[in-house]
Amino acid sequence: MNALTLSFTLNGNDVSLDISPNTLLVDLLRDKFRLTGTKVGCREGECGACTVLLDGTPVNSCILPAAKVQGKSLTTIEGLADENGQLSEIQEAFMHEGAAQCGFCTPGMIMNSTALLERNPEPNNQEIRQSLSGTLCRCTGYRKIVQAVATAGEMKKSQG
Amino acid sequence: MQDKTEGKQKVQVLTGEKPGLDQLLETPEKKLSVAGHSIARTDDPAKVTGKLMYGADYPQEGFLHGKILRSPHPHALIKSIDIKKAKELPGVAAVLTGKDVPGRNGFGAILPDQPVICEDKVRYVGDGVALVAAVTEEIAHEALSLIRVEYEVLPAVFDPRDALKPDAPRIHEGGNLLSDNKLRKGNVEKGFEEADIIMERTYQVPFLEHAYLEPDVTLAVPQPDGTMLVEGPMQAPFTVRRNLAAVLGVPVNRVRARQIHMGGGFGGKEDSPIDIGCRAAVLAHHTGRPVRIALEREEVTLQTCKRHPMIMEVKIGAGKDGKLLAFEGVIYDEQGAYAGLGPIIPPAGGSHIHSMVMMPGPYEIPNAKVDAYLCYTNHPYGGAMRGFGAPQVHIAHEQMIDELAGELGLDPLEVRRTNAFRLGSATATGQVLDQSVGLLDTLEACAEAFRWKERFGKNEYVDAQSSKRRGIGTGMGWYRTSIGTNGDGCGANVYVHEDGSVLLYSGITEMGQGAFTVLPQICAEELGVAMEDIRLVEPDTDRVPESGPTVGSRSTTLMGNAIIMAARQVKSSILEMASEMLLVPVERLEAKNRLIYDREDTHKSLTFTEVAAKCMAMGKRLIGQGWWTPPAPSLDPETGQGNPYFVYTYSTHMAEVLVDVETGGVEVTDYVAAFDVGKAINPKALEGQIEGGVAMGLGYALMEEVAMVDGIPQNLNLQDYLIPTSLDMPDVKPIVLEVENKFGPYGAKGIGEMPNIPATPAILNAITDACGGRVRSLPADPERVFMAIREAGGPPER
Repeated sequence: MNALTLSFTLNGNDVSLDISPNTLLVDLLRDKFRLTGTKVGCREGECGACTVLLDGTPVNSCILPAAKVQGKSLTTIEGLADENGQLSEIQEAFMHEGAAQCGFCTPGMIMNSTALLERNPEPNNQEIRQSLSGTLCRCTGYRKIVQAVATAGEMKKSQG
Repeated sequence: MQDKTEGKQKVQVLTGEKPGLDQLLETPEKKLSVAGHSIARTDDPAKVTGKLMYGADYPQEGFLHGKILRSPHPHALIKSIDIKKAKELPGVAAVLTGKDVPGRNGFGAILPDQPVICEDKVRYVGDGVALVAAVTEEIAHEALSLIRVEYEVLPAVFDPRDALKPDAPRIHEGGNLLSDNKLRKGNVEKGFEEADIIMERTYQVPFLEHAYLEPDVTLAVPQPDGTMLVEGPMQAPFTVRRNLAAVLGVPVNRVRARQIHMGGGFGGKEDSPIDIGCRAAVLAHHTGRPVRIALEREEVTLQTCKRHPMIMEVKIGAGKDGKLLAFEGVIYDEQGAYAGLGPIIPPAGGSHIHSMVMMPGPYEIPNAKVDAYLCYTNHPYGGAMRGFGAPQVHIAHEQMIDELAGELGLDPLEVRRTNAFRLGSATATGQVLDQSVGLLDTLEACAEAFRWKERFGKNEYVDAQSSKRRGIGTGMGWYRTSIGTNGDGCGANVYVHEDGSVLLYSGITEMGQGAFTVLPQICAEELGVAMEDIRLVEPDTDRVPESGPTVGSRSTTLMGNAIIMAARQVKSSILEMASEMLLVPVERLEAKNRLIYDREDTHKSLTFTEVAAKCMAMGKRLIGQGWWTPPAPSLDPETGQGNPYFVYTYSTHMAEVLVDVETGGVEVTDYVAAFDVGKAINPKALEGQIEGGVAMGLGYALMEEVAMVDGIPQNLNLQDYLIPTSLDMPDVKPIVLEVENKFGPYGAKGIGEMPNIPATPAILNAITDACGGRVRSLPADPERVFMAIREAGGPPER
């Protein structure tokens, strides 16, 4: 198959490379860029462990052809901390609330809730649950994750 | 009976209200500074940044990719295998069949009856008939498609009762009955004669998938000295090592198993890393190259172990007051194709015997009888899944108690109050519970928080227009700490260095439950140092002492005790040296918060580091080795009488549901769960165990089932195998009680498995309260609830 030249912004850096057109985004991130924080749980867009942000919108990278990110901006879990290594409010809140157990869903949960707080800075319990319903967790029963998102919203607000 | 509890046991209450869990009500003399506190998980920073490496995240350069050719038939003879074309495919490094296994062609956590590569016969559709290793996964896949296998299909059996029939297809040489166990207490015939009421019911539960989010992966790397290194997510590195040594035909010390942090296990990663590890190791042995086997989600469902399905027949006899007089149970426990973790390890190890012991429930019953049959079938094999045979039988006894209460017109909570274990009660195996029995305390605490008394009997439509009816239900439970075998030992090493920093060596694995946080907490507490002074050396059979498997809710208690023993050895060196340095008798010294000081004159003090440096300089021992085994288990093979497990955790759950009587849909709208845990070493991590456990119990009640058609699992991925989402879960309110376990570190007992066990029957009982129908064959999905309502005479009148 002919190679395709793909150019996009990855965690704030412009990148360009040749890929095979049938490459899936998750494999590009994990194999080519060694960004293994994005997880593979099902490869059918069901569990949400592979969630990344495409121009700020959460997408399942396990079913998205890499070619779809052409010219766009992509953020993975590795791109959330600022240049000084300061973690985002959601990352801090996940630790504060004990929202990670095995941690395998955590990157997907954090990416998903990052997008939620961008579009709705003060979500209520039901809005958080609705927003996270496409990301599965088998360990926590979700309460601490929901609480972490609410806490992160408060942290963002207080930091203005 | 009632007074047995009063005044004898001290019950500490940690409220579930935020931030109350941290407000530990401890006596001053036992004030703990590290254990007992909600210290943040040590692995949190790596988890929230995506830096934590799971098995699939390890670089694949230099690895061959291993694949397993599985049988398409649940039961068949292998007539021939043609691997010629597959071998010739460029990029293929090895194609192996049964004769290529260098040592024993069999593995298993208890009995090695599962072939690494089947030679003559297949017994389920997950069975491997050939292995391939190739330079890419694509080539490995293609090679699989080039292998030709000729089968002679045999009649298969998919029901444990059918498996016991004389003319049933024979799955293994020794017959289909793998284990036949009996429990006999008192005289059930006499008990039934005395009873005012006798009821009989049958309950049935399906195969369940663990659905850990991380699919299994194994890396087998041959070492220059001939040792085989196997790495991956695994709950039981020592069991993996034992199996691999036999399969490779080498001594145990020629295999090294190293745990990579797990993305969930729930018991499933006790079996599956053996299953996959053996295959990867055989491929690595033949090629002399590193081999990686990474299962796709569908392969995980097809191949790996499941929660045992059961058919449970219960007959119960009681007085008009609800006092239980006789219990008779029969369990048809489906093991599937291979022995897995089902059979007995004397006296009381293995899931089947555990089911039998637990079946009469946490109730004092003078006469009890259980017959338990563990049967081979041509389904995937049964293994450990969060509760190891206990969730199933709780579904039977907890529904039975509610059905009895309904028949007698009693509050089901009252029937439980009448019969529940208290201090001094004898279990169905005749074990006298002489310490740490907080079951009734959990019942009362749960009832108060849930306001059971006010809410009971208020089952009604939510409003005049709605088709939804509200109902409440409860479930009680008990669960062991430890695994009931004679070999249930746990070892730990503690090394203190000249700067006061500490290495803790433990073979207990981390699968999300928090062991890598809780165990260092215990070590820091005992040494009198800070949490950050401890670095845990992760499980690696070359480095850590034998610790047994990370199962059976045993880690905190058994390993905690081993760590305390090891730490005390080092601490005695430290205190002796400090005594010489301060000229204060050892008895007066206290070690806490990195200081060693004279209790009677706190100005006389040294830092832990100063003393450690002096010890090192003077050649004093700074290495501790702890080994702890629980009090010996016992169980008579003929009568099922004895003390199978040394301590139990207790729990009561209460749920509110809304049942749509027109669709059969169920929502869980309120939930309280109370536990007697002995001692909460990390209250926040404990809450996480509770809330996640309830979610798993909810899934079992309402939606989970590996659907089988002619022996073939149908719902292989998470689109079809449903687990609870954030919208299915209520905000669970945990209540933690501490009734000290005299054998536990600071009084702790196990908690990993308990939380999911009473959740399932609590929800099932709430459904019946809401709509009148009872689902006795799980899951209670909309269709079954709808049918149950119709069988009960249709939706209740308004």
